[in-house]
Amino acid sequence: MIDLRKSDPQFKWEIIKKEGGEGLLKCFGCSDCAASCPVRYFDERYNPRKIIRLTLLGMKDAVLKSPFLWFCAHCHACTERCPQGIRVAELINAIKNYAVEQGYCPDGYKMQLDLLMKMGRLYEVEDFDLKKRQRLGLPPIDKTIPEVARILKATNILKVLEK
Amino acid sequence: MNKYAIFLGCTVPVRAQHYELSARNVAKVIGIDLVEIPGASCCGFPLKAVDAETALLVAARNISLASRLNLDVVTLCNSCTAMLSDAQAQLENEEFRHRFKQVGLSYPNDVKVRHFVRMLYEDLGIESIRKAVKKPLNALKIMPHYGCHYMRPSSLYGFDNAEVPHTLDELVRVTGAESLNYNDKKMCCGGSVLGIDEALAITMANHKLLAAKENGADAIVTICPFCTVMYEDNQRKAEARFQKQYGIPVMYYPQLLGLSLGLDANAVGLRFNRIKLDSIMEKLAVKE
Repeated sequence: MIDLRKSDPQFKWEIIKKEGGEGLLKCFGCSDCAASCPVRYFDERYNPRKIIRLTLLGMKDAVLKSPFLWFCAHCHACTERCPQGIRVAELINAIKNYAVEQGYCPDGYKMQLDLLMKMGRLYEVEDFDLKKRQRLGLPPIDKTIPEVARILKATNILKVLEK
Repeated sequence: MNKYAIFLGCTVPVRAQHYELSARNVAKVIGIDLVEIPGASCCGFPLKAVDAETALLVAARNISLASRLNLDVVTLCNSCTAMLSDAQAQLENEEFRHRFKQVGLSYPNDVKVRHFVRMLYEDLGIESIRKAVKKPLNALKIMPHYGCHYMRPSSLYGFDNAEVPHTLDELVRVTGAESLNYNDKKMCCGGSVLGIDEALAITMANHKLLAAKENGADAIVTICPFCTVMYEDNQRKAEARFQKQYGIPVMYYPQLLGLSLGLDANAVGLRFNRIKLDSIMEKLAVKE
């Protein structure tokens, strides 16, 4: 049930400002995204059209608190088919980014951010890996790339870890 | 000799060395020089859902490093390809370039970013590969899996056909193997939702494993380490969840191509494939 008394009219403008959110107002609700979505094919609890519609209606809590927002696989099947030319996967990503700002970040993503902060890469390169690479004749790789932490510190992204 | 900078990303050099090994050895055989990018990091994709701008900055830094080599970039992972290509496109944007400089990065020259397999298709071409094939893999039925970020979003890539992709099929056929035509070829492997909902991810992977079984595929061929995690590493979980027995080998495309170019099993790292390729090796030996 949608209770419009809870609508936050600013919500959609916040999303439009985010990277990838620019196309939001063009959505006329045709459901081409939902029909093309491989995730929805298997699990109807995820529906990109519904997320976009709720966003346009200002139903901020319903969107941000829903675990299904994170079901988007970012596969771009929807982006290819949107008759309005909305980069739908990027729009959903913009909503994810906003949800993170508001304190809703899945633990898995926090963990990845933490790893990138420490190593600049997602998987630890152990001595075993370096030896295996050497044995196979593959060139050595850096264990850590501290430059990544420098970029992360220069943006606002680390605030996520405090929430 | 064609020369490219190779961007490895996080997963390939640590978890999929056989992919890297086979790509490098294929490159050697066909006369392609791959140059390392000093200081390259994660592409940035794992940060995108948290903050797209930061992800783009990390990606753009990698492009900046590659541009110092004055070489076009090839990648082995679909997600790295997408992330770097996206950053490349964003660097056209004044505002993003400003942000890029603000965090202390230097503006890169123009470099082209493409998937290694796309480079094979575009720069080498099917006909040149055909001439290099020494041992046609005529006995094999291969199910090509493109993965999402190889050709989507088309607005970013302008390559292949986002609805009816064909380049990987052609690249499989040129090895002599049959490339299976099957339903839902563009289906996502589920990799990006594995950390969010494992049951959903396994269900998505199962869809294609089932198709591989029904179509009598000898192997699924992938071009992305994430897709391989879903079809190979998680095949047992799909079998348990859906009460099936698959046992379907999963190969990286350069492994398949390498075999047809006359490379031996070690040179394409076949012993590192988690699901054994005995059935394939037997079929190939019979044909030899």
